[in-house]
Amino acid sequence: MTRCLDEVKLQCYFDGELSIEMMESVTSHLASCATCAAAARELEEESALLTAAFAAEFEESVPTERLRQRIDEAVLGERLATARSSAKTGFFAGLLNFGTQRTLGYASLVVVLGFAAIIGVVKMRSTPAPIASTTPEQQPANREIAKAPSINEPVTPAPVNVSTPVRTTESTPTYRPAKFIANSAPKPAPVKLLPGERSYLQTIARLDSAIKSNKKGMRPALQVEYERNLAVVDRYIAATRSAAKSNPNDPDAADFMFTAYQSKVDLLNTIADARLGGGPRH
Amino acid sequence: MNGQARALIESMPNDIGTEAVGPLSFDEAFTLHHRAVFRTARAVVRDSALAEDVTQEVFLRLYRNLNSTPGEELLRAWLLRVTLNVARNTLRGQSRSMVRDNEYHKSTAETGFFAEAPEEDYERRVAIEEARRALDKIKEPMRSCLLLKQQGLSYREIATSLSLKETNIGSLVARGRKEFARVYGKIGGKRDTVSG
Repeated sequence: MTRCLDEVKLQCYFDGELSIEMMESVTSHLASCATCAAAARELEEESALLTAAFAAEFEESVPTERLRQRIDEAVLGERLATARSSAKTGFFAGLLNFGTQRTLGYASLVVVLGFAAIIGVVKMRSTPAPIASTTPEQQPANREIAKAPSINEPVTPAPVNVSTPVRTTESTPTYRPAKFIANSAPKPAPVKLLPGERSYLQTIARLDSAIKSNKKGMRPALQVEYERNLAVVDRYIAATRSAAKSNPNDPDAADFMFTAYQSKVDLLNTIADARLGGGPRH
Repeated sequence: MNGQARALIESMPNDIGTEAVGPLSFDEAFTLHHRAVFRTARAVVRDSALAEDVTQEVFLRLYRNLNSTPGEELLRAWLLRVTLNVARNTLRGQSRSMVRDNEYHKSTAETGFFAEAPEEDYERRVAIEEARRALDKIKEPMRSCLLLKQQGLSYREIATSLSLKETNIGSLVARGRKEFARVYGKIGGKRDTVSG
């Protein structure tokens, strides 16, 4: 007969925390020792009491759905905060990765859209828009803007150089978020578009309109995220546009602005593709 | 698509839990452990609404520390360790939690979360209250050992959760269990129903 079991070993035995050899040893001892067997029964009773005491608490409902929702929202907020901070630092760095092939692709797209925009505007416009006053800083100065018609003068749409897709300076519609542009006709306004903005705005308006037409099917969480991301991109557009406007001589400033626009086009494209392609991506 | 747009798209919330937590995803970690986290939190803060806050904070910390959390084996222990810390910190800044808890249950019952017969609710809440009062009489770290043991944690997990030596857990559980039985019997718990 082995030595009698102490309280701790017995507890470990019932909690399954002993090695196999020890478990077997304790089992055989309990079969042969009345004292230890009585101690084991007492332990079992107390353990059952403990379990019963906690049962009510542990059986109480856990609001899984609500927790899931709250945590999803909290994690989403965390992600957005991270995305915003990384976007702030990585946005301009990302410009360096603007590959030649992609640049050509975007340029081609912008040229095509630019032509379409010019033709569309010319056909639709019955009366010329009033000419807005010009500010000195809007003088064309960089190599791209220099090729564009002067924004000081009323402009007749002219053939556009294929290699410089940043055109269209006629009329003076206000820059607004795409969602508003999609639903309203261009009106004369004191804010003038910078060269090349129009084509982006029209692309964005069309994509935005396409997405909105299918909005009912979008999941609420996706919708919220989409709109938040859109707001982030819009802020960058506003910032880079302001920089481009105040530094008309700096070609990089214009590039930054166009890249910001391109980000929005990319975002809208991806959403539109996902919507048309059978739902949001996973 | 440039890097920024890609990053923004990838941050869409369709599948928040795609990040790995060792071999577990965030979603899996939530599915497996949110009950233990919530119950542990509620056992400490005694307030279901506060326990929700604690649970949210715990999983947010998991999300922030996805790369540094332990693997699947000890993830629950890590979560409950954070839960105990957050819950105790929360408790320090709270008072009259039972009042809020009652209000919480009243409101959730109205919305169907705990819809049940009033007498069943009353009996259960009395049982919970007796168990809590008995547990309150147990000193730390025995109390936390019992709480975690009742959640099904192994000695190793309990040791990890409470920063104790694994070899001491058996002793702490045994002492806590005996003390609980003594106090619970005095309070008038259901000892007589658990005989034999």
